[in-house]
This record gives sequence, structure tokens and C-alpha cells, in this order.
Amino acid sequence: MRHLQASFCSFARPLTGVAAALALLAGTAHADATLDRIKQRGKVTIGVLINGGPFGSIDAATQQLVGWNPELARALAKGLGAEAELVQVQTATRVQFLQSGKVDLLIASMELNPDRAEILGYAPTPFYRVGGAAAVRKDSGIAQWADLRGKPVCVSQGSSFAKPLTAEYGAQVQGYKSASDSLLALRGGNCVAAVHDSTLIHPLVRSNPEWTQYAAPIASEILPAPSVVWTRKGEADTIAAVDKVVREWHRSGWLIDTEKRVGIAPANPFLAEQQAKFKTASR
Amino acid sequence: MSDSLLVQGVQALKALGLNYAFMLDDMERQAFVRGLGVTLQLCLLTIPGSLAVGVLLAALLASGRAWLAAPARAVVEVTRNTPTLVQLYCAFLVLNMLITQQLRDWGAGPNPLTPFIWVVIVVSLHKGVFHAEALRAGIESVPQATLEAARSLGFSRRQLLARVQLPLAVRFALPSLVNNLVDLVKMTAVASAIAVGDVTYQSIMIWSQRDNVLELLLLILLWFGLLTGLVSLAGRWLEQRMRMPGYGQ
Repeated sequence: MRHLQASFCSFARPLTGVAAALALLAGTAHADATLDRIKQRGKVTIGVLINGGPFGSIDAATQQLVGWNPELARALAKGLGAEAELVQVQTATRVQFLQSGKVDLLIASMELNPDRAEILGYAPTPFYRVGGAAAVRKDSGIAQWADLRGKPVCVSQGSSFAKPLTAEYGAQVQGYKSASDSLLALRGGNCVAAVHDSTLIHPLVRSNPEWTQYAAPIASEILPAPSVVWTRKGEADTIAAVDKVVREWHRSGWLIDTEKRVGIAPANPFLAEQQAKFKTASR
Repeated sequence: MSDSLLVQGVQALKALGLNYAFMLDDMERQAFVRGLGVTLQLCLLTIPGSLAVGVLLAALLASGRAWLAAPARAVVEVTRNTPTLVQLYCAFLVLNMLITQQLRDWGAGPNPLTPFIWVVIVVSLHKGVFHAEALRAGIESVPQATLEAARSLGFSRRQLLARVQLPLAVRFALPSLVNNLVDLVKMTAVASAIAVGDVTYQSIMIWSQRDNVLELLLLILLWFGLLTGLVSLAGRWLEQRMRMPGYGQ
């Protein structure tokens, strides 16, 4: 019943009045339905983005989801005292997965921005900070973001880099279904650069033998923003529970270890900053 | 004047719970309108393109010569038995990449085939195959007696096809052809998969920033409804116009 109601609400957003009335009804019974359901079922459904590389990929041998996003999702479930159920999501549709109740939480390389904060809830403590990097051919002559003006640039659909690339640097942005399509399009010569999370681009051009003709020469990151765990709007209890787990990750240094373990390099200075902050805070 | 009208319209819809705020952002509104145009362009190019492919393949299939009919049959079977999206990915992400690399190795300059051209090629070919089968059904339903009469008047095989078989076949096949064309209009949405800026693509790009999926889907629905409606109307008109009084009724 509750599940039905959740998915109904997401489709009937125009019927705000009806939705609000239903939410009010539900609200009198439970403060936060999602956290209750997680506790009750002993299971939490987390949407993770799998785009290859250390961020998240599929282990060829075991068919298990491995890497940064899945590791965090499993640890988060454990922190909430529940079993993790991982669901793969796509950049363009991940918000719908969350809103329709297909997943309870999102750990999907989704950075914090005001537009998203208006429609979704999130645990305020960021677990990472990430910006965009551009992969280009070594002979392309591109050295800074401004060099992309007027040139076709590949991104994935739903990428938050699309807007600054168009508005600030005047690039012609082409959005592909996924990061891998965008990278293939770059190699097909359909764009001069592919812009994705730096954590995806840097390992690729540094260590993948198929990418020896490519580099990520632009030193600065585009739109560096904190990554957070997303929830549905207004789920205060769930948010508080998740945030507690994230703060503990920082304090204990677990994120720094995990970053090393899944092979994200170079180490993100943000994690060390946060650890220092939470260590002194807890004293 | 028109600006304030737009603002009022957006506010009125907002009261209904529909968030069309992207219409007030110059960049996003222009992108969306461009998307409408690109979808229209795709239709205007793939409709004649697919019909040309269909007529050619149907002519080969009906030629009665095995060395022409067999390859055409192979093309039909391969094309209609794989999804359009898979064909598009194969053509654009694989074939196109190989072409680009080959041209680069030869020092022949950039690849002239844009994603837009690939969509036109793949959709035309895919739907052309279905046209060919519809036309074949038409060609085969031309009565033997009519063909014999034409042959006895000294029509060559080509004249027979062009003057007798195809004109009749088109009439028989018209409902199926229009059906195919309606489907083709909707099929142009696959362009969004390879970043051709059609209306579906622009909508995805907007809703992934603003999360106004429902609002944009309504607009997509309206636009495709309008385009397919026009194709159906044109089909109905053609059927009326090409009707042969007393034939078959």
C-alpha cells in the first residue's frame, strides 16, 4: 500500500493538493515512512551509478557490482542496520528511480546543486567532492576550458557539466545515453573532448592502454561540487540516520581507506580535510 | 509583449502544478524549439528516403531474377530482424569510428558523416525495408490477367513494373505504407541516443537538470501527435484521391 502510494505521488505531482493530503495522512501515522520501512524489512534499496572504472563497475568474474559507489552503498546499509539491495541507475533517469520509490537512496555520483536540493532531500555531509575533467586527443591543442569555445564536446545525458560548458565556455554540448557512449563518440571523432567526473577521466587516460593517444591536459576542474547521498524530499529521519553514518565515515578515516582500496588516484584532498574537521569536532 | 504573455502562461500552468519554467530561460527554450525543428527535419528527410529505399527493394524483390532478389531479401531479413537502436549504435559508434580512424590514417581530413546523417540513413533503411514488404504485397496482388494483357501489348518488364504493377501496388499498399510512416515519425526519437538534438534529446537534457519529466513528456506527446496526425491525414487524402471508382469495390 505504502509502495503504491509512493509511486502514485511521483506521477501525480501536478495534483499537488491530493498528494499533500495523502502525505499529511501518512504523516500522522509515521514521521518518516522510508526509515520505518527500512527498519521493518531489514533491507534498504540503494541506487548506484555504474560507469566503469574505480567509481563503479561490474566484476567480470563474479558479476558483482564493485568500486566506490557500491562499496559506499553497502557500508551505508550496514550503518543503517539493514541489508543492502543495490540497483543500477542511469544518469538521465536516476531521479525518477528515487521519486517513484524504486530506490530509497541514491549514491550515484550526483553532486549537490540548488535545483536538485529543491526537489530532493539529501544528507548534508558530503562524502566526496568531484568536478569535471576533459579527455582530449593529445594532438588537439586544447589546454584550457576556454579552448572548447564553439567546438563539439561530449557529455552524458543529465550531466551537470552541460550547463557551464555551454553558458560559460560556449561549447556545443552533445549528451549521450551514458559515459561510455560519450567516450566512444570522442574516439569516433564526433567531439573534441569528453567531459565527465574527473574520477572517471583521470584513471582512463593515465592507465588504460587503449587511451594512450588521449590526455586530460586542463588543470582546473569544472564545477567542483560536493557529492551527497540523496533521499526523497522531507524524509528528515532517514536524512539524519544517513548523515550520522557519513560523518562517522569521515571521522574514522574509512573513506580515505576505501578510496585507496578501490584504486582512486590521486587521493582527493577533500577527504583529508573532512577527516581533520570531524576529528576536531568530536573532541 | 509576447514575453509577458509567456511569463503569464508559465505562471498559469504553475498554478496547475505544471512546471514549465524552462520556457523562460532563453537558452533552454531555444534548445527545445530547435529540437522541434530537428524532429521535423528528420521526418521530412526520412519519409522520402525510406520510400525510395522501399521502392528500390520492392523492385528488386519483384524482378523475378534470383541474383537481384536474393541480396534484396537478405537486406530485408537482416534489417527488419534487428532493433533500430542497435543498428544506430552499430552504425554510429562502431562503423563511424572505423571510418573516422581510417580517414585519419589516410590523412583524408575529418569524417563528413554527422550523427544526424547516420540517423537519416539508419531510419530510412530500417523503415524502407517495411515499405518494400508492403509494396511487395501490393505487387503480388495485381491480377495475373492484367499482367498478361499488358504483356500482350508488348510492355517490357520494366514498363510493366513502372506503368502497371507499381501504380496498382501503391493503391493496395497505401494503408500499410501510411502505417509504416506513422511508425517512422515516432522512430526518429532514437536520434536522442546519439545526441542528435531532436525534441526527445532536448527534453532529456532539460529534464535531467530540472526534473520536469511530466511537463516535457506532455509537449513531446503533443508534437509527435501533431506530426503523426498530419501523416495520417495525408494518407487518407491520398487514398481518396487515388481511389479507382469501380475497382475492387
